[in-house]
Amino acid sequence: MVNDKNSQKIVDIIQNYARKHSLFILAYGTGCGAIEVPPTMTSRYDAERFGIRGAATPRQADVLLITGYLATKTLKRVIRTYEQMQSPKYIIGFGSCTINGGMYWDSYNTIKRLDMYIPVDVYINGCMPRPESVIAGFIKLQKLIQAGKADGWDRYQKNLDFYRKNQKKIIKNWQMPDYNW
Amino acid sequence: MNIWKLLLTGSVTTIIAFIVGMTYMGLNRKITARIQNRVGPPIYQNFLDVLKLWSKKTAVHHGFMQHVAPLWMIAMSITTLMFIPILNNGSKFFVNLTFDGDLILLLYLMAIGSLGMALGAGQTGNPNSAIGVTRGLTQMVGFEIPWVMALVAMMIQYKTTSIAGIMDIQHQTGTWMMFSSPFAFLAALLVLPGMFRYSPFDIVGAPAELASGPISEFGGKYLATMMTSGSIFAFVKLTLYVDLFMGGASNLGILLVKTFTLYMFPVLWGVTSPRFRTEQSVKFFWGWPLVFGLLGLIQAAF
Amino acid sequence: MSNIIIILALFSWAILTYLAFRVNKTLGNIMVGLIAVALPVYFFTYTPADYSINIGGINLQLGFNSFSKLFAALVVVIGAFALFYSISYMSKRDRLGWFYFNFILSITGMLGILMSKDFVSFFIFWEIMTWSSYLIVVYNGKEVNKTGIKYMIFSAIGAYAMLMAIVLINKWSGNTGLENFFSTFSSYSTASKILVSSLLLTGFAVKSAIMPLHVWAPNAYTNSPMSYTVVFSGALSKMGIYGMALVAIKLYLQSGMHVYGEVLAWIGAITAVLATFWAIFQNDIRKLLAYSSIGQLGYIAVGLGIGTKMGVAAGLYLALLHGLFKSVLFMTAGAIEYRTGKTDFRELRGLIWKMPWTFFASLVAIIALAGMPPISGMVSKWLIYEALLNSQHYFLIILVFLASTSAFLYCFHFLFGVFLGQREDDIENVKEAPAFMTVPMVLIAFALIALGSFPGLILNPIADAMNYLGFSDFNWTMSSLTNEWGNRLLLKHVNTMFMVVFVVFFVVITLVSRRKTRRVGTKDIANAGEMVRKEDNYHFSENFYQPFWRVISPIMKNTVETIYLRFAKGIEEFFEYFRRIYTGNSQTNAFYVIIFLILLFIFGANLI
Repeated sequence: MVNDKNSQKIVDIIQNYARKHSLFILAYGTGCGAIEVPPTMTSRYDAERFGIRGAATPRQADVLLITGYLATKTLKRVIRTYEQMQSPKYIIGFGSCTINGGMYWDSYNTIKRLDMYIPVDVYINGCMPRPESVIAGFIKLQKLIQAGKADGWDRYQKNLDFYRKNQKKIIKNWQMPDYNW
Repeated sequence: MNIWKLLLTGSVTTIIAFIVGMTYMGLNRKITARIQNRVGPPIYQNFLDVLKLWSKKTAVHHGFMQHVAPLWMIAMSITTLMFIPILNNGSKFFVNLTFDGDLILLLYLMAIGSLGMALGAGQTGNPNSAIGVTRGLTQMVGFEIPWVMALVAMMIQYKTTSIAGIMDIQHQTGTWMMFSSPFAFLAALLVLPGMFRYSPFDIVGAPAELASGPISEFGGKYLATMMTSGSIFAFVKLTLYVDLFMGGASNLGILLVKTFTLYMFPVLWGVTSPRFRTEQSVKFFWGWPLVFGLLGLIQAAF
Repeated sequence: MSNIIIILALFSWAILTYLAFRVNKTLGNIMVGLIAVALPVYFFTYTPADYSINIGGINLQLGFNSFSKLFAALVVVIGAFALFYSISYMSKRDRLGWFYFNFILSITGMLGILMSKDFVSFFIFWEIMTWSSYLIVVYNGKEVNKTGIKYMIFSAIGAYAMLMAIVLINKWSGNTGLENFFSTFSSYSTASKILVSSLLLTGFAVKSAIMPLHVWAPNAYTNSPMSYTVVFSGALSKMGIYGMALVAIKLYLQSGMHVYGEVLAWIGAITAVLATFWAIFQNDIRKLLAYSSIGQLGYIAVGLGIGTKMGVAAGLYLALLHGLFKSVLFMTAGAIEYRTGKTDFRELRGLIWKMPWTFFASLVAIIALAGMPPISGMVSKWLIYEALLNSQHYFLIILVFLASTSAFLYCFHFLFGVFLGQREDDIENVKEAPAFMTVPMVLIAFALIALGSFPGLILNPIADAMNYLGFSDFNWTMSSLTNEWGNRLLLKHVNTMFMVVFVVFFVVITLVSRRKTRRVGTKDIANAGEMVRKEDNYHFSENFYQPFWRVISPIMKNTVETIYLRFAKGIEEFFEYFRRIYTGNSQTNAFYVIIFLILLFIFGANLI
C-alpha cells in the first residue's frame, strides 16, 4: 500500500505546484521600490506568464511585497495587513533597505532589518532592482515553495513573541488586536 | 425520473462545464495578453488558481451569511446548468432537467446567486462590498431590459417558452435565430458583456475602483467556490446563447466551436475598452440595445 | 347558524374587548387572544347558511361563494395572526380598548363585504371598514392632518363614486342584488356600461392604491401601528382587489369590453413600475414597504386586467401570497421598531445576530417578494409572465419585468440596511422580539417555504374561485405548472436540485480546513491596513442608490401628490376669482336679485 508519508508528500507536491504557479500580489506599494512593479507586470517583462497577478485586498492575496524602505508608520499598517492575509503567505523584501537599511541606514524613522519584525522569505537586493531581478526573485520564491521551504507564515506563528517584542519596541501607539488563531 | 441517472448526467455535465468554463477564462487571459503584445499565462492557469485557493490553510469569514454566500452562487450555477439543453440531437445522456423548467425560470434562477452573494458581502461590514453590490444591482436593472425584450420577442413569435422548443424551431426552419430575428440577436449580443461583467461594464469588481467590490472580503476556499461558480455560469450563458440564437449543437465539438466564437465578442470588446461608470452603463443599455429590442418586438408582432 | 351570527358575534366581541380593556389590560389581551384563535377555527370548520332580510323594500343578503371564501380565508388568517402579534406589540401603549375595538370592527367590515350578496350591505360594510381603519390611522395622534385627512378624502371619493354607481344600478337593473347586476349588465347602453363600471372601479381602486389614487397609502401605512398595518396592507387592500376582480371579469370580460381590461392592466403596470422606483429611494423601512405594497398591487391589477385564465390565476395567487409575505415584512418592521425604537436606515444596522428569527422571517419574505426559487414567489412571477406571454402582450411584459428587476434593489436595501453591515454601540442591548411576535412571523415564513415546492396547496381554492368567475381550470398539479403552450415547470425538481447542491457544497466548504477557519467581527475589514475604531461609522446608508437616481431622476421629478396639490390650488384660485361677485355692497346684491327676477320672467315659461 501507499506509504502514509509518501502520500502526504504527493498531496503537498500538487499543492505546492499550484501555489507556486499562481501568486497573487497585494497591490500595496510600501516604498519607493513600488515603481519597479508596474514594468514587471506589463508587456515588456510580463510577469503574468508565471501566473503572477494583482489582488486588491489582503484577504485575497498571497504575497506581500515590501518594496524598499519601511517607515515605522508604514510598519504598523504592514503588520496589520500581513495578519489579515491567509496562510500560506510569503513576504518578499525588495531592495537593500530591507536587508540592512540601505540608503537610509542612519535614519531615525525607518527600520533597518526587516527580518526582525516580519518573516521574510526572499530578499531581492538592488536599489531599485530591475524587472529582471524582480522576476529572478519570484523564481527563487517559486523554487522555495516547491521545496516546501517557504514557511515564513509558520515561523511567524511559532515565534510570535519574538516578533511582537520587536514590533512593540518601535511602534509606540500599539492599538491593534492580538492576533488570535 | 431516475435519480441515479440524473446524478450521473448532472455530475458529468457539471464537470464538463467547469473544465470548459475555466479553459475559456484562461483563453481570455491568453488572448488579452497576446493583444497586449506579451506572452500571457498558460491556458490552464485558472485551474491552478482554484487549486491554490482551495489549499489555503486558514480561512477567515465574518459570519454565517458570508460562509454560505458562495454556496448560493454555486447552487445557482449548477441548478441553472441542469435546465439548459447541452446538445440538440435528442441525446438521452445530456437531458438533465431540461423539460422541467423554461426560460422564465432561468431568468429568476440567475438572480438568486447574486442575492446570496449580496447578503454575504453585506455581512462583512466592508462598505466597499455594499457599494459594489448596489452598483451591480443597478447595472443588472440596466441590462435585463433589452435581454428580456429579445427573449420575449422570440418566445411570442414561436409560441414556446422552452429552450429546447426554440432549438427545434431552428432545426425545422433551417435558419438560425441569428438571421431570422436579427434585432433580438443584436440586443442580446450587446447585453452579453454586461452579463459577463467584462469591460466596459466591470465597475462592480474593479480592483482599483472599489477594492474589488463585493468579493473584497472573500479569500481562500470562498473565493475558490466563487471562481468555480463563475466558470460554470460562463458556460451556462454561452450555451444558452448558442441554443437560442445559433441553433444548438449536435455534438460537443461543434458546441465548443460555437461557444468560443460567441465568447470572442465580449473578450475582444473588453480588451480594448475602458470602464463605464454605473449610470453610464445603464444609460448605454437603455440606448441602442433597447432600440434593437423594441425593433425585435415589433418584428415579432407583425 | 347563519352568516349574520358571525357579524353580530364579532361586533359584540369588539364592544366587549373595549370594555375589558377598561377593566384590566390582561383581561383585554385574553379577549383578543381568544378571538384570534376562535375566528379561524370557526371559519374553517363551519359552513354557515345564507341570511337575508328585507328592510324597507331593500333586500339585504349575506352569503359566501367560492370566490369570496378565498379572500375571506386570507382575511381571517391574517387577522388572526395580526391580533396575536399585536398583543405583544401594543403592550406598551395606551387606549388599547379603542384600538382593538376598531381593529376587530375592521375585520368585521371586511368579512361583511365578502359576505354581501347585494350592494347595499356591501356599501354598509365598506364604510364600516373605512372609518374603523381611519380611526386607527389617526390613533397615534401624529400627523393627523397629513395622513388622516388624505385618507379620508380619497376614501370619500371612492365611496361616493360607489354610491352613485349603486343608485344607477338600482335604477337600471331593478334591484341591488349582485347576481342580478351581473346578469343584466350586458343589457345596458354602452355609455351607461362605461359609467357604472368606471365609478365602481374608482371606488375599488382607491382601496387597492392604484395610481393615481394611491397618494394616501404611504403615509397611512407608516403612521398606523405596525400590527394594524399587517391587516391594512395584507387584507384591506385585497378588498379593493376583490371588487376590481368582479368588475374586470364579470363586467368587462362577459360583456365584451376587453379594451377596458387592457386599460386597467396598463394602469397597473405603470403603478408597479413607478411605485417600485419610489420604494428604492426611501429611507424609512415602513415607507419602503408601503411603496412596495403599492407596486405589488399593481402586478395584481395587471393579472386581473388581461382577463385570461392564467392571468386571473396569477392575480389571485399573487394576492394571496402578497397578503402572506407583506404581513411578515410589516411584522418584522414592527419588531424592529419595538426593540430599537428606530425605523430609519440611517440609524439601524447590524441586527442579524441580535434578532435571528426576525432576520430569518424577513429573509424568506424578501425572497418571496423578489420572486426567486426556491420560495413561493417564483410561482406567482411565473404565472404572470406566462399569462402575459400566452396572451401576447409584448409591452406589458417589459414593464412588469422592469418593475420586478428593480424590486431586487429595495429588497437588498431592506435586508442590508437593517440586518447586515457594521454594528453600532447602542444596538448592543437589543434582544430578540418577544415570542408573541416571532411565532406568527416564523409560522408564515415556513408556510411560504412549503408553498414554494407545493403550490397546489392553495391552487385548489383558487381553482374553485375561478370556476365561480367563469373560467375553466388551467393545467396544474400539486407541484407543477404548465402553460398553454405545453411548457412545464416542475417545482419539486428545481427546489430539490438547489437544496442538494447547496447541502453538498456546504459540507465541503465547512469541512475543508475546518479547524483553521476563524470568524472575525465586522470591524476587522480590509481597510488599507488601518484598524476600524469603535467610534468610526463605516456603515453605508446615505444616498444608497445614487447611480440609479442619476439615471431615472427625469422621471421622478414630479410626484402625483404635486399634481393633486396644483389641481387643488388651481380650483382654489378659480373660486377665489369667482368670489369677487360678492362685493359686500348691498346695492350690488339688490341689482343681482333684480337681474335674476327679470331672467326668471323671460325664461320662466320654459322651466315649468
